[in-house]
Amino acid sequence: MTRVKLENVTKIYGKVVAVDHVSFEVESGELFTLLGPSGCGKTTTLRIIAGFEVPEEGKVYFDDEDVTFLKPYRRNTAMVFQNYALWPHMTIYDNIAYGLRIRKKKLKLTEEEIRRRVKWALELVKLEGLENRYPLQLSGGQQQRVALARALVVEPRVLLLDEPLSNLDAKLRIEMREEIKSLQKKLGITTIYVTHDQVEAMSISDKIAVMNKGRLMQYGTPREVYFRPHSLFVADFIGRSNIYTGTVVEVGDEYVTVHLDSLGYDVKAIPVKPEVKGMKKVSIVIKPEIIKLVPPNTRGDNVIVGEVDLVMFLGEKTELRLKVGEEKMIIYVPNYLEPGIGDKIWFQAPPDHVIAIPEIPRGE
Amino acid sequence: MPKRILTTKDVYIAGFFLAVVYLLFENVLTGPAEFALWLFGIFWAYLLVLRGLDYYRIIFSFSQSFLVIIGFIYDFFVIVLRIPGLPRALALFLLPLMTVATIAYFKENIIAPMRERKLIHLKVPFSKKIKAAVFKLDPIMWVFIIVGSIILVVFLLVPVLMMLINAFIVPPNIGDIFYNFERIFTVPSRYVRINPLPGETFYRPIPLSDGTVEYVITGVNHGILLNSLINATFVTTVATFLGIIVAFVLARYSFPGRTLVRILAMIPLFVTPFVNAYVISILFGPQGPISWITQALFGFKIWIKGLAGVALAQTMAFYPIVYMNAYSSFINIDPSMEEQAENLGSKGLKLFLTVTLPLALPGIVAGSILVFIFSLEDLGAPIVFQESRLMSYQIYSSFTSETGIVSPEIAALGFVMLFIAVLGFIAIRSYVGMRSYAMISRGGRWTIRERRLGPLGLAVVYFVLVPLIIFTALPQIGVVLLAFNIIPPSGFTFQWDKATPQYFLQIFEDPRIFIYIRNTLTYALAAVAIAVTIAIMIAYSVSRVKIKVVTPTLDTLSTIPLAIPGLVIALGYYFFYSTFFPGTPLDPTTGPTVFQAWIVLIIAYSIRKLPFVTRSVFAGFQQIHHALEEAALNLGASRSKVIFGVVMPMIFTYILSGAIIGFIYITTEVSTSITIGGLNSQQAPMTFFMMNVYKGTTPKGVQLAASMGVLLILFQLIAILIVVLVFKQRYAFIGV
Repeated sequence: MTRVKLENVTKIYGKVVAVDHVSFEVESGELFTLLGPSGCGKTTTLRIIAGFEVPEEGKVYFDDEDVTFLKPYRRNTAMVFQNYALWPHMTIYDNIAYGLRIRKKKLKLTEEEIRRRVKWALELVKLEGLENRYPLQLSGGQQQRVALARALVVEPRVLLLDEPLSNLDAKLRIEMREEIKSLQKKLGITTIYVTHDQVEAMSISDKIAVMNKGRLMQYGTPREVYFRPHSLFVADFIGRSNIYTGTVVEVGDEYVTVHLDSLGYDVKAIPVKPEVKGMKKVSIVIKPEIIKLVPPNTRGDNVIVGEVDLVMFLGEKTELRLKVGEEKMIIYVPNYLEPGIGDKIWFQAPPDHVIAIPEIPRGE
Repeated sequence: MPKRILTTKDVYIAGFFLAVVYLLFENVLTGPAEFALWLFGIFWAYLLVLRGLDYYRIIFSFSQSFLVIIGFIYDFFVIVLRIPGLPRALALFLLPLMTVATIAYFKENIIAPMRERKLIHLKVPFSKKIKAAVFKLDPIMWVFIIVGSIILVVFLLVPVLMMLINAFIVPPNIGDIFYNFERIFTVPSRYVRINPLPGETFYRPIPLSDGTVEYVITGVNHGILLNSLINATFVTTVATFLGIIVAFVLARYSFPGRTLVRILAMIPLFVTPFVNAYVISILFGPQGPISWITQALFGFKIWIKGLAGVALAQTMAFYPIVYMNAYSSFINIDPSMEEQAENLGSKGLKLFLTVTLPLALPGIVAGSILVFIFSLEDLGAPIVFQESRLMSYQIYSSFTSETGIVSPEIAALGFVMLFIAVLGFIAIRSYVGMRSYAMISRGGRWTIRERRLGPLGLAVVYFVLVPLIIFTALPQIGVVLLAFNIIPPSGFTFQWDKATPQYFLQIFEDPRIFIYIRNTLTYALAAVAIAVTIAIMIAYSVSRVKIKVVTPTLDTLSTIPLAIPGLVIALGYYFFYSTFFPGTPLDPTTGPTVFQAWIVLIIAYSIRKLPFVTRSVFAGFQQIHHALEEAALNLGASRSKVIFGVVMPMIFTYILSGAIIGFIYITTEVSTSITIGGLNSQQAPMTFFMMNVYKGTTPKGVQLAASMGVLLILFQLIAILIVVLVFKQRYAFIGV
């Protein structure tokens, strides 16, 4: 069991700050995800943890050991690469046994013991009987499992996964992420996972760190990140969001009331940070799925009426684009409803799920 | 008892057993008894496969499948040349491995596909297949395919066949039709001499008048055929090792001055036929700088000549081919492959041997096989070192004989050379083709793995590697120094005061010398024009149409000239034109008054150097997505409009760089130039003049030949600069 701690880690490539003073802590046995758009520095962060890159500033700790300048081959991490990096010239068995053979002397392993452990790893990822195949004879999903087995078999201190599912098709991806999560829980291994897929991140992680342009934007459980985004970037990046700018008109204990000029409504919202209460202009985030349909002419907090502009049937739900005042708003309604263009829709955005962010979009 | 699982180890145990049995009973095991032992080995291997040996371990393994390929060539010669003793035991050792691989090959490539075909119930009638193929072809494609095929068949296949036929021509009442081959494979004979002549040693000390000793290193004569094989194997092995080391250091380590070293390492790529071998003969001669050094350090001189000199000169000239291939192989390895190994605890030599080298090996051996072929057919070094006991020299000298008639025995020798070269080429090509997937990556990051060197590493680089690289660049530097008379034509001193551009100017001013330059330039331009035309036709057909048998054959035919030694083309053309055009100006036997060498040379050049042009043009066509053409066709453009109006302008730079590279290879061509060209010396090209300077024991006009070498270097330099700087393409150097 290993704790991983990053302290003010900074990595600069030429003029680009790839990782900008990033700090976080991963508890032992936790599945921690670095989430962000491509080029946000998440893979670089992972590579710093693996030891392939040395940060210009800051420290990396495994438990209390400073590993910042430890060579990658001494760290005992195990990484699963985006392209799996299976060696095409070795059999599946040899691929998986590689790490053990390197450690043969140190761990005093016999060839028999290696065989036993490889077998264990193959069973773990359900690939028994494929030992003597070569990587190119396997399907993408099987290759992924081999890469995972190769990483797990050495009993690493930390498991590092770099977009491991990005090369699989949609169905397999869901299957594999369930499998990775259950394996990780079963083995209790500290895991750091990099992905740009927010659904993947939400479903698999104990903790998520959202990164953008090298900076750590927010860090918390999936629920926290989802329901309480601290910044417009996170609100916009995770799920879909309707974002409006408005003026704070009333400050309560729990809620603030914000006047949204373009919509022509006053909206009650939860401030994500205390400083919202002291600000004049803030942003309001309403996620499309939090709304509740209400009967026409209902009175209450955040009851809004909109005119249907576009209907899109998505299968498990129906997406409506409404005209509210001068603005557009996306909402999700149950899939059995079939509203027509121009229909009036009455709905409520419960104040507990509407949030106020102390930041306004650039240019406003 | 459960059945033991058979592994590759069992195959090697079988081989070991056979080898030991042979060595123990070598005297008894002759004739049928030995044959039985070979049969037993094959049967043993067959049993292993029957009992469930997992042959994938052999055919998919990078190193073992490579061993199989080498094994086939090795065993062939051990058997044909009846080489006894340890080499034969080694051949037996390899037998089970090769048998298993052969069985595996048949099972995988012939039996398995047949079974699969049976599983497909839908049978498409042959007529419908033809219809579908015809539908895809419009008139211009027909023209391309038919004209391309005819040219390759007439000017490549038929001449080689003519040589082959002549190899079986035997005067009546002398022997059977294999007589010429029997002469070559007779042991011992001047072709094969397994035990060297008595008194012959690898080197011999000669006491000098001043009391010191001079060690003359000549190498040992094993007969013409074996000499060529041993020489080519030695040159290939050393060049490969050297190339790998230099490439790895330059690809993976950064150190101050690396860019300069990289440029230096390219210098030996400049081809200066004959002159660079001559510079090497001076460098390692009794008055050369190497002798000074050994004299000062150890008190003796050395003189490398004969076979040893040829091997040395060829190694220095050809190692950059491996270096270039290895370098791009190392650069092209997906870094995550090595990072993964490092992540799992591997480092240093272990990492290199288990991951890096196996992944780079296909690219490296693609370069090695070319070195092998080039060494086999090289004439420059043998002529300069006056080493006639090599196959290439023998074929060359048959053209210069008094009678001017090439004997059938030489045709047989040419066939043997062709056989070795093509066998090696095809084997390596299929080996490389099977494994090119190693380079396929599926996205991910691409951070080039480069490390800074520590003090010890820096010391090694600056004190071993850099001197080595400078050393291999010495021949080209020496050519320049010779041309401007800074070093004298023989001996080794710097005479800066006597430096003069006079010789360099003379090659342009003296009409008797300039004619060679003019010949080379006009032939090269004409040949390039022909080669580009053929290349466009073939490359377009191959990249756009897939017809079973036809297009793959066309593809192979257009690349196979890489593997065909130039001397074989020369022999083939000799027999081709003298048979089909007897007495006409195309007949080489008519002598310099009638024979028009220029026509034959231009055709020979365009066919020989076709692969370089085709490859570049083909790369261009591959860049153009077929949707671009389909869009034009869809809008109503005819195929010829599409090709000449849409595609060609887009790949213009590829065509031009193909033409430039072809031009360079033609201007430096040796084999056909000095054989066919030599039959009418007034129409011969530059390389013929250069050869003439060095073929005697006391060369005359060294500075003039060196000036031509400088001119050739200039051509090549300009070509590289145009391709790299103007077209922004990699200077496509040779590979399989």
